[in-house]
Amino acid sequence: MINLEFNYEYNNHVYKITAERAKENDGYLITFNGVTYPVTSSEVKPGYLRIKLDDRVIKAVVAEGNKNMFVFLDGKTFNMKRVLPTSKRVEKGNGLVSPISGKVVNVKVKEGMSVKKDDVLMVIEAMKMEYLIKAPYDGVVKKIYLNVDEQIDMGMIPIKIEKTGG
Amino acid sequence: MFKKILIANRGEIAIRILKACQEMGVKTVAVYSDADACSPHVQLADESVPLGNPLPSESYLNIQKIIDAGVETGAEAIHPGYGFLAENPDFAYACENSGITFIGPKPGVIKLMGNKIEAKQRMEKTGIPVIPGYHGHRQEKNFLLKQGKKIGFPLLVKAAAGGGGKGMRIVNKEEELEDAIEGAKREAKSSFGNDTLLLEKYLDKPRHIEFQILADAYGNIIHLFERECSIQRRHQKVIEETPSPIITNELREKMGKAAVSAAKAVGYTNAGTIEFMVDSSLNFYFMEMNTRLQVEHPITEVTTGVDIVKWQIRIASGEKLTLHQEKLGQRGHAIECRIYAEDPANGFLPCSGVLTKVEPPMGPNIRNDMGIETGMEVTAYYDPLLAKLIVSGENRDDAINKMVWALSNYVLLGITTNTSFLKEILTHEAFRRGDITTHFIDNHFKNWFAAKQEIPVEVLIALSVYDTMNAKFGVQKEVTVPSVSDQYSPWKHAGKWRIGD
Repeated sequence: MINLEFNYEYNNHVYKITAERAKENDGYLITFNGVTYPVTSSEVKPGYLRIKLDDRVIKAVVAEGNKNMFVFLDGKTFNMKRVLPTSKRVEKGNGLVSPISGKVVNVKVKEGMSVKKDDVLMVIEAMKMEYLIKAPYDGVVKKIYLNVDEQIDMGMIPIKIEKTGG
Repeated sequence: MFKKILIANRGEIAIRILKACQEMGVKTVAVYSDADACSPHVQLADESVPLGNPLPSESYLNIQKIIDAGVETGAEAIHPGYGFLAENPDFAYACENSGITFIGPKPGVIKLMGNKIEAKQRMEKTGIPVIPGYHGHRQEKNFLLKQGKKIGFPLLVKAAAGGGGKGMRIVNKEEELEDAIEGAKREAKSSFGNDTLLLEKYLDKPRHIEFQILADAYGNIIHLFERECSIQRRHQKVIEETPSPIITNELREKMGKAAVSAAKAVGYTNAGTIEFMVDSSLNFYFMEMNTRLQVEHPITEVTTGVDIVKWQIRIASGEKLTLHQEKLGQRGHAIECRIYAEDPANGFLPCSGVLTKVEPPMGPNIRNDMGIETGMEVTAYYDPLLAKLIVSGENRDDAINKMVWALSNYVLLGITTNTSFLKEILTHEAFRRGDITTHFIDNHFKNWFAAKQEIPVEVLIALSVYDTMNAKFGVQKEVTVPSVSDQYSPWKHAGKWRIGD
């Protein structure tokens, strides 16, 4: 008998679930929010689950991808992340991470320059569209990590800004 | 007929064209960048030529490399697909100069229709209604301001060389006009190297309705009816259907005739599309002509039984159009959904990564035009269009029901896509009624994006059962700690990002 604990993050909320294999081979006891759901499940083909809960049948497809878990159920796709029970959400940091991979096409500021909140700092081109990176707050440009024509990856910090005036 | 054709494109459209060639017994050549070396279009072709560097300018947009590939493989014709070089007159000229047939209209026609101002002036002369506005060459700010006031508000400021919503501004008040002109000029200059603007009246409840035409080199021109393409986001189409729910037989005939005479006026050959705007009083105005195959051509094919791609090839090889307008008709109703690698809840931000599970819906009257397969990586280099889902039914309701079913059975996991959002649109009561405009998504889905999506307990059960099944006894499965770079939505934490508009 094993007891597992899972924490899934969805829309900034962490859902805590405990799972236990029941005595029968394909039986599971899933507990969430103080309610235990006794289910049986079979994997029709890899990732395709047919789960019985009382007299209901839940058909779901589960796949991992890009460090996320994808569950396809009732024609909707849910994108979740496994997190450690103790993990805290990442703080905003300096507020500047690239939301996309692409190419830097314009750097509008220079190191040492003062910028105002919402000033455009950099333009990134990806998939035929341009994305503007704007200053998250008033501050001074401390460091520019990327130049025009350089590739930027999702999550990279392109520019460091030191906050001024609190 | 050609013996060998090179397809200067990638993804679903390259595959669509490759299959047409193979059915016609024509040998095929694919081209591919380093990022696409393992792509399905390369596997499908008889021969393939690498283009190297994945940057579009170094690969699919590189005229010299593609012409060289055609010469080297002995291709007699090049099909450009859509996007990339499809509407580039220089490419069409380059083909001509190397003795390769460009599958499309003559370069001069591409050039004429590519300039929106000239195209509109030409259409106006032909007697085709155009949207009231200023489409002239004078570009001084004060002059444009005066013209803008004359046309009235709301008003649309557009880049003459534009497309895809770049260099476009909606101006509601006179005071906003000057800023809009300056901003649009800057954006047009940096995006297209040309800051010529045009001003247009902004229409009430506008619909985007286009007509497909086919023309041969002997003066035979037909139209293949309309496509309603009003459901758009960021000025790009998402869902298309035919017939349009508002067009009457009388209007269809009138618009069809206008489309045919527009094509005739410029000596058009091959497949093309005349785009019209239709307002709430069913006035129609010429907007632009697309001198190429359209993304949404399949809905016309499934309702008319005409294979547009095969006709493009036949016409280019010098064959006569044997379809007659009076014998053409439409059967039933067809809808296309564009499946994009993008997150509708995050400003339609494109997503990249590996597709870990791909299984499209199958069934009667369901067509999948796809450029993807399980295990394929979607890169940030190219357009996020992954696949097109096309269904047809006896009538509009039947087609909608089938599309809802098909989307509900479309397994596409590993990266975020817009399939759930497409289903929301199709099940929206205003869509069902056919009450759609180009503002549909903005008007009806503002709150949907803001609303916090609840997660059904069934999803949590399914995921934890899956994880328990795959967990080894006694060992808790290793879990990853989120870091800044793969936090599931760094976009959200970035806070101050906005899509450049």
